[in-house]
This record gives sequence, C-alpha cells and structure tokens, in this order.
Amino acid sequence: MFKNVEEAIKELEKQRYIASKDIATTVYLALKLEKPVLVEGPAGVGKTELAKCIASALNIELIRMQCYEGLDEAKALYEWEYAKQLLYTQILKDKLSEVMGSESTLSGAVNKLSSAEDVFFSEKFLIPRPILKSITKNERTVLLIDEIDKSDSEFEAFLLEVLSDFQVTIPEIGTFKTDVKPFVILTSNSAREMSDALKRRCLHLYIDYPTIELEEKIVSLKVPESGERLIRQVVEAVHRIRQLQLKKEPSISETLDWAKALVLLGYEDLDPAIAVETLNFILKYEKDIELALKHSKDIFLN
Amino acid sequence: MVQREGQPHINRKLFDFIEVLRDASIIISADEVIALFNAVPEIDVSDKEIFRQSLKTTLVKDYTDIPVFNRCFDQFFSGREKFFDGMDISSLSSLRDGIPAEVIEDMNDMLDKFLDSLDPAFLMEKNEDEIMRMFLEELPEGSSGGGGGMNIFRSRSGTAGSFQSKGEDGEAAEVDIEAMMDLLRNMMNLRLSKRKIGKELKNREDFLLNKFIYQLTPDEIREMRELVNRFGQKLKSRISLRKKRVKRGGIDTKRTFRTNLQYGGVPFKLFYKNKKIDRPQLVVMCDVSRSVNQYSRFMLLLTYSLQSLFSKVRTFAFISNMVEITDLFREMDPERAINSMFTDVNFTYGWGSNYGRCFDQFIENYSDALTRKTSVLVLGDARNNDNDPGIQSFRKIQERSRNLFWLNPDKRHLWDWNDSIASLYGSCCNEMKEVNNFLDLSEFIDKLFLDI
Repeated sequence: MFKNVEEAIKELEKQRYIASKDIATTVYLALKLEKPVLVEGPAGVGKTELAKCIASALNIELIRMQCYEGLDEAKALYEWEYAKQLLYTQILKDKLSEVMGSESTLSGAVNKLSSAEDVFFSEKFLIPRPILKSITKNERTVLLIDEIDKSDSEFEAFLLEVLSDFQVTIPEIGTFKTDVKPFVILTSNSAREMSDALKRRCLHLYIDYPTIELEEKIVSLKVPESGERLIRQVVEAVHRIRQLQLKKEPSISETLDWAKALVLLGYEDLDPAIAVETLNFILKYEKDIELALKHSKDIFLN
Repeated sequence: MVQREGQPHINRKLFDFIEVLRDASIIISADEVIALFNAVPEIDVSDKEIFRQSLKTTLVKDYTDIPVFNRCFDQFFSGREKFFDGMDISSLSSLRDGIPAEVIEDMNDMLDKFLDSLDPAFLMEKNEDEIMRMFLEELPEGSSGGGGGMNIFRSRSGTAGSFQSKGEDGEAAEVDIEAMMDLLRNMMNLRLSKRKIGKELKNREDFLLNKFIYQLTPDEIREMRELVNRFGQKLKSRISLRKKRVKRGGIDTKRTFRTNLQYGGVPFKLFYKNKKIDRPQLVVMCDVSRSVNQYSRFMLLLTYSLQSLFSKVRTFAFISNMVEITDLFREMDPERAINSMFTDVNFTYGWGSNYGRCFDQFIENYSDALTRKTSVLVLGDARNNDNDPGIQSFRKIQERSRNLFWLNPDKRHLWDWNDSIASLYGSCCNEMKEVNNFLDLSEFIDKLFLDI
C-alpha cells in the first residue's frame, strides 16, 4: 500500500515506470477507496504496463485477463473440467459398481449415486478462470482486465456483478466470497463506449502521450546507454511527428525502439539523414512515412 | 459521507463545482459524488495537481469531457488560496485584515444561504447589482446570529457611518462600512460568476452549434473545430454502442460444440452467430459553390470524424463538374484537405452550379460507387441556374442506392423560389431536409444509423 501520492510515484519508479502525478493520484485513490480503475488512452502509452508495475511495486500477484470478442463466463470465471470428470468415472468404474453392488432396485442405485455426486462436482474438477482465481486467492491481487472494449456488452454486464460484490456463485458448489478485494484495472482503447453503469463503479484515468520532460525521463530510464543529447533529439522529433495527422501516431514503445536502434547503430547524434533512414522504427504505415518525409525539414532541423 | 472539522468550506465549494460541471452538461451521478467525498480526506488538498486529478478521476468518466472539465476547473479554482481558507478575496486582503474572521465567515454563510434560496434561472437573468440589492433587502433586521457582528447591515442603504462589531474578547472594533460593502460586493460577484461558469460554457456551445453556419465568423469556425471533434467522438461512441449485434444468424458450430461437450456432445444448448449489422457505405456529394460551401465544409469535417463507422466513404465535390475528392482526404487531415480542395481542383465548367450535368457525370463515371448498401447524401441548395436538371440520372442514383438524402441549407420557404428546383429533386429522394446549423447536420447523421 502506498502511503501517499509521492510514495506511489517513487515506488513505481523503482519498477521502472515513470508515473505522472495524475496517474499516481488515481492509483493511490483507487487503492485507498478499493475502487476499480478504468484506464483509457491511445495504444502504447503504458496502460497494461501500469498494472504490471503496480503489482510488482506492491509485491502481489498479477492476474491478467485478455478480452476479445466472444469472451464468455466460461472463459472468464470457471469451467467444469469435463474430460477429467469423464476420465475419472471410467477409471473408477469398478469402485462405482462396488458401491452400487448392494442395491437391487434402480431407484436405490440412483439415490446412492446422487449422494456421491458431489465428488464429481467439487473444486477438484473446476478450472478456475482469472476472475474466480482473484476471488478465491484470499490475498490481495491485481486483476488486470485488458482491452475491455474488445469484449461484448453482455460480458460487460456480467462483469458489473463481479465488480460490485466481488462474489461468484457456482450452483453445484456454492458462493465464493472474498474479504480482500482485488485491485481491478480495466484498460480500454476506446474502440467502443463503455456503459455508464460500469463507468460509475470505476475511477477514470485517461493516459495521454507524456510531456517532453516525462518522455525524456522514460527513455533515459529504459535506454540508459543513449546519451542525454540523443534522448532529447529523439523525444523532440517524436513529439513533432505526433503533431502531424498520422494514421498511427508513434507511441512510447516506438520512441524506445527508435532510441535503442540508434544506440545499436552507434549514433550519438540524430542528424536528419539518419533520422529519415530510420523512420520506419516509429512509423508503421508507408503513407505516414511519406508524410513525415514531406515535413522532415520542420521535424529534424532544430 | 465524510465530514471533517474545518472542511465545510471545501465541501461547500465542491458541491458548487459539481453544479458547475453539471451545468456544462457533464453527467455526474450520486456514485461519483460519493467517490469524490471519500477521496478528498485521503489526499493533500493543498497540492493543486493532486486535487485536480482527484476531482477529475472521480467525477469525469468520459474522456471527451476532459477539456470541458479543465476549463471549468481553471475558472472555478483560479487562485487556490482563496479556496482553502474559505475566503473569496485576494485583492481586498488588506481590508480583510481589518475585519474579524467570524464576520467574514458569517458573510460567507449568509451569501451561500441566500443564493441557494434563489432559482438558478433567476440568477442567470439578473446582473450582480440587482442580486446584491435583493440580498441587502432580504437581510433580517439586526441579524446578529452566528459569530456576532452582522449588525452592520442595519444601515443597509449604505449610508456612511461606523458600526459595532464584537470581537472574541468582547471588545468593540470599528470598521469602515464602505469598505465592508466593497468586500461584500466582491464576494457576491465572485460567487455569482463562479456559479455561471458551467452555464456560460454550455450556452456558448449551444450558441455555436445552433448558429446559422453561413453566419459563423472565421474566429468562431476555429473555435468550433474542437467542438466538432468532440461532438463527432460522442456521436461515434453512441452509434457504435447502439448498433451492437441485433439479428440472429446461423448456428455457431464452434461454440455449440464446446459448450455441449459437457453433455457428451449432444447439442442441448444451441448458440447462434450474431449477425453483425453491415456498416453502411456512404457517398457524399457536396456542392461547393459559394452559396453553400460553408455547409459543405462542416459536412465533410463531420463525415471524416465519423469515418470509422462506415465501411466505405466516397466523397465528391461539384459545382458544374463532378470530382472525386476521396483521395485528397486520405492524404491529409480534413482541415487541410478542404482548404486545398478549393484551390486545387477544377470544379467549374462554364458558370455557376449545374446539378444536372454533375449527376450525369456521376452516373457515367462513378456509378460503381453505388451498391445496395450505399446511402447517398447530397448537400446543396438545388439552385440549378435554369440548366437541365438531369432528372434521369438522379433517378438512377436513387434506384441503385439504398437510400438517398438531400440536405438543403436553404430555408424551406425558399425552396422552388427563383432558380431552385428543390421539390423536383426532393420527389426523387427519400427525404429532403433543411439544415441550418451544425446540430441539424449531426442529428441527421445520427438518424442515418437508426434507419438501418
């Protein structure tokens, strides 16, 4: 648990995550208030990374659930391990007939069997999926529900139930409840709007591209071998490129890739000729590269 | 709700601020308010960044509202120190020193109570002086409740003089009544202007959205750019939420098999593939002649901010030549594309708009753009300059597309006036609609998706 916002920043930095004050404030509050956080923002600004770093900063387990279209309860909550159940009944055939042997009538046999059926619907045959796992853990975990915007709205509705009560009912076994609420982080690339009900239950955090100073700090932390001068040039160039109307703007990870590549290639200085040659590290579309080339004078000449 | 000693001012301010946000049409429910009040005791409110983010993270759930929040916050909490000691005056701080703290507390409370008792709509109508006068008139005679010392207002007509104010130790202190009135007026004005922040923002937006597009000044157009963007984003998420799976399709074999494994492969439960609704294809034809080009500009901006909702958008511009400008938009941002469009491409052949000729050209050159799924939008005033209307071609466009809409910036009573042949074209369209302002345009787009 972080004591205050400053400590959150410091602890996250130890995990090599540079959090802005905004990010740290929301994280701190979410932990204090035990509320889920919905993190939105463009791709590649470190939304997933944030969850991972919080988990390691607090030294607790991270349970991750990747959302996709068609994700249902069976994949998110629990599933009976059918094959194992079948296998066990086959193996235990002899044992079963032994138990049943004394019964002469059919109804007697059914009664006997039903008294033993709990064996086959016990936790042994249950495959816990991420959400159930985080609830049965009984110690604090970080539950990362990644790219929630990719899931269907039915799944979102189901998630609401879990997020408000943190309990799961399995008809055959009973209700699982937790005293220690997991810290839930939902990330979204805003492919679609989340329902108001879900938003109401969460704190909201919008992570935008970092400021120049913050991004410089990030690069110098992650790619320490690059010199200060190179870092500044790279970051400034990336920021100017983001101003263009691109199909896909370069994110932080692309900035890092670029800096790494330049270091590997042995450059200590980003002169325009090199920059133009290595543009494909940060821009992933031919059209975007063309556009950047057109504006290369403004971007790379300081 | 968490109430702490020494925090009533903060709570008070927060409620006021929430009202401001609501006025600016940000939706804030009780859940959010509770979260905020739970959060405030946990943070160091004297750090402005943390304070701002705490408010934002608990109250604003839609990231398109963040710019609005920021503007409200900056205006409302300009000058943090005023907020945290419960004072609303900085310019008059020297004055404040001469007045006992309880008196100011009292004044604060009374002002708040008074303003709360008034109808918000009333507050919007009246100016500061009128409200001030009302406040003074409503003051109870010799009200000395609270910390003591409010008897100053007995001389409410503002006649100069001095009055008695009892300090903590019961000693009498003399305060200049003129200065006191000044102080009070300042407190009142600040309070009033703060309460109006949200309303004013909203009013400004409504004003821009409802203004006749051809009357917008260049400055206003610039201002609207952000608005159009935000509006487009909202529209987009609303539509994408609405058109989620509706119709049922065939059996989803994969899912049916997997689920029914537990029944030994006997298909007890069936799962259907959910038929996704096809995203519509859009063909936009904009008249870009002088009379309507301002409308076309906004239409194009809006369609391009909504591009991802359509599976295909093809854009054409015409005056007397039909020219495809789809590629232009693919290459640059809409703003610049529109600007370069007016300089680059040759739309004119002869003089003035010629709708007939353009529709003929469209059928001849671009009829591959029309399919069963295509919605066609024509934006223009249907002033054909007495040319051949090309009605055959126009009918063909209608027959080959899913639906055909015409947006006409002319007032309805001007249709068919002079060289306009609106009703002739209108009879071939699914609908001809009058659009005057940006709101009309976006409403139309919204409806386009309902019909599908």
